[in-house]
Amino acid sequence: MKKVISPSGRRLTGGRFALTLMAPDRGIFHESSKGGGDMAEGVIERFVSKYETLSGRVHMADSTESVAEAVLAVLRDAGGTRLAAAELPDALMKTLEGRCADAGVDLLKPPYDGSALPGAIDAAHVGVSWAEFAVAEAGALVEFATNDATRLVSTLPRVHLGIVRAEEIQESLMDAGPRIRAFMAAQPENATVTFISGPSRTADIEMRLTLGVHGPEMAHAVILDQ
Amino acid sequence: MMLKGRYQQLEEKIDRALKERSSRTALYRAMKRGRDSRHRAVGALPGGEGFRNEVRSVKVRCLEQQDELVDRFATKVRERGARVFMANDGPDAISYILDIVKKRSARTVAKSKSLTSEEIEVNHPLEEAGVDVIETDLGELIIQKVNEKPFHLVFPAVHKTAVEVAEIFREVTQQDVPQDVDAIMRIVRKYLRPIFLNADIGMTGANVGVAETGAIVIETNEGNARLVSSIPDVHICIMGREKVVDTVEDALQMMLAHPISAVGQHLTTYVTMMGGRSPLGVGDGRSPRESHIIVLDNGRSRMREDPLFKDALNCIRCGACMNICPTYGVVGGHTFGYIYPGPIGIPWTSEVHGLDKAAEFAPLCVSCGLCKEICPAGIDIPMMIAGVKDRDGEQNGHPRVNRILMAAEGMAKFGCATAPLSNWMMRNGLFRWAMEAFTGIDRRRALPPFRRRTLPKWFRKRGAVQRSKDPVRQAVFFADIYAAYNAPELGRAAVGALEALGCEVILPRQRGSGYPYIGYGDLKRAEKLADENVRLMLPHVEAGYDVVATEPTAAYCLKVSYPKLLHGRADAQAVADRTYELFAYLEMLETLAGGGEQTTLYKGRRFGFHVSCHQRPLDAGRQAMDYLRRRGAQVELVETGTCCGMAGTFGMKKGMLGYELSQAVGEPLFQAFQEANVDTIVTESSVCAIHLREGTGIKVIHPLELLMEEGEAG
Repeated sequence: MKKVISPSGRRLTGGRFALTLMAPDRGIFHESSKGGGDMAEGVIERFVSKYETLSGRVHMADSTESVAEAVLAVLRDAGGTRLAAAELPDALMKTLEGRCADAGVDLLKPPYDGSALPGAIDAAHVGVSWAEFAVAEAGALVEFATNDATRLVSTLPRVHLGIVRAEEIQESLMDAGPRIRAFMAAQPENATVTFISGPSRTADIEMRLTLGVHGPEMAHAVILDQ
Repeated sequence: MMLKGRYQQLEEKIDRALKERSSRTALYRAMKRGRDSRHRAVGALPGGEGFRNEVRSVKVRCLEQQDELVDRFATKVRERGARVFMANDGPDAISYILDIVKKRSARTVAKSKSLTSEEIEVNHPLEEAGVDVIETDLGELIIQKVNEKPFHLVFPAVHKTAVEVAEIFREVTQQDVPQDVDAIMRIVRKYLRPIFLNADIGMTGANVGVAETGAIVIETNEGNARLVSSIPDVHICIMGREKVVDTVEDALQMMLAHPISAVGQHLTTYVTMMGGRSPLGVGDGRSPRESHIIVLDNGRSRMREDPLFKDALNCIRCGACMNICPTYGVVGGHTFGYIYPGPIGIPWTSEVHGLDKAAEFAPLCVSCGLCKEICPAGIDIPMMIAGVKDRDGEQNGHPRVNRILMAAEGMAKFGCATAPLSNWMMRNGLFRWAMEAFTGIDRRRALPPFRRRTLPKWFRKRGAVQRSKDPVRQAVFFADIYAAYNAPELGRAAVGALEALGCEVILPRQRGSGYPYIGYGDLKRAEKLADENVRLMLPHVEAGYDVVATEPTAAYCLKVSYPKLLHGRADAQAVADRTYELFAYLEMLETLAGGGEQTTLYKGRRFGFHVSCHQRPLDAGRQAMDYLRRRGAQVELVETGTCCGMAGTFGMKKGMLGYELSQAVGEPLFQAFQEANVDTIVTESSVCAIHLREGTGIKVIHPLELLMEEGEAG
């Protein structure tokens, strides 16, 4: 199996803590629909390769600790001190909070006070959010949201970092139907599903590809493979 | 009645567009890149081009159930707490929007790109009501600032250079803007950010509406739709009712089809499936959050009842037809379009903005048919455009030159009857000058000579030759005008080649294919001719004969156009099923005869092959190339991915809507042939041959001319 290394050359390994808790009971975070065992061979590599083709950067993590490490490294690289998080699994959020406190990083997290929005998230240097699953052939992270603050975390800051479990990377777009259907059914009122494939891009001037015209100019995906 | 200079305005626009060299280069690059990337990406799909069948089947199925789906969609949207307004037309939708503006005392509307909002021209009434309307898609923003319409569907500002864009934003922001794309981008981001953060209303379109979930799908690469659909407390979406599909899987199919057809992308960077109206954070600090989905009819229900124009509702607005359209590719959307641009823009304009608006640019369609071949929904765009020309012709008459070219068959017969006098006159400069003035046929075009000894005459005298009592196959040779009247030697070579392989050939009474009637839009005559030819062919087909044509357009007519013109009639389909292109048929006969033998007949020759547009849907051209290769020739397919520009008789016409446009379209192909370093160009189309000969200065032949050499050699 090909080694997955981020383009910056950083191979992220070795957190000491395992992710112990799955998801809050809001119906947004699903249990894995597939076990790791029947995962199609090479699907992670295909995701990585596609995501990087789309100017995104990929990091591998094997624990919540190493996810938090990756988040802080990205924030540091961006020269920032303010981090906005969308809803994350409890254990991950807890770890991240601890690491942010240690590093003197300002962590904004849900619930967001509506009257402070969108300014509060706009002021963050990096937005970090959870992807329910990913689609390898499209290099897309898939975000489920029931509050628009979640969508702003992955849109307003200059840098976005999305986290996805390795076993939730699926091959094809056309297989995404059942999960979207289940989420929409579990949320009879507002519910938004977003496919995000790398940073905001345009080629509207002279057909030259330019990143970050409205949304993030840098996009990172952290693959949590425990 | 034909008004002289009816298309004067259009011709002036074409003239201006052709002179804009830098815009033309930018447009050509954009389109070529779109086509090439699409080609690569579609090729990498598991089913390749087969995805088009899936897209079409989704669209057709959903169109059949449209009323029910729209009802179900509306119910679901309401259940999710958003509002639905069914707008009959533009003014209806606009007054609904103005009501919201008033109720919410809105002062700014931030928009993401929406063709449907452009269709009803929503910006103007909003601005009149004192609202600031800001287009946030970069390309749309650029052209909004200079009051222009999109030059290209996917790249609206592709005709603007970085220097020009820098100047536009210098005016807008009143600060120095470096003439560098990245720097411009940073300034645009800074300029738009407060607009996103403070807009009162966010307005979007929808690429899809999903009946099953009541969600809308919005696709962008820039992410602007995410911002305008999440930050402002009021969201308004305007969508056409044809966008509603049944299931989530249908929506996924559309999400894939849009960007892959447009630019070869798998998904746009951001695809939002939005159901209901989400809160923004928590607490009561904000004003009530609303989402309004306006489902627009504006002629769509009427279109659905129209047997010809119904197909336009299958359009998914990807722009692929524009990327392949030869004339759109040189003049751009300012000339080739009203609000909806390009090939599919012609029927859409006719249906939602009026026939008169569509007729203003419909003559730019040269009926090459390529748009139909690239359309992800397999829409028969050329036939609908013929319908627009037809309706316009009925109201306003057809231009004289078109009437003359539609009557080409009669002219050819007359020319043959009066040869060689007719040929002498055709070579006479003074006569051609007068002919140009009277008929509108450009005097610079070398027209093929007329032959006194036509193919039918030769055949009548010779009779059918039955080589054996039990021929391998029996075939009707369908000559069309060129091989019958202008180059009967080609017809003779075709007959000879068929007979040499043990096929019995007959040449029964037949008419020309009549494609010009479709191209110039006289559908009654086209239908009449289709009917006549089908009736003439049918008894032979029923008696076990195949129909073989050498002119690509003739084969296309028999196989593709006639069944459509005759509304799927069984006899037309029977003839279509038995029709073959000559070289495909020869290949089959060679296989029957135990496989084509390899010879070295053309060893050392380097042929550049040109596939005519009408061969593409028939998968033809390939067989002729293989035929030559089996005889030792080096054959290279030379193509730009679009038409050569001749387009039948279009390039024979004088002026912008003819010769000039045809030359402009041909330039890149001429150059490609010159760079290919071939000694001879080979093409099966008689008209493409004229164009390529004049444009490249290289010898151009029909592959049958080689067979004739072969015959002489033998």
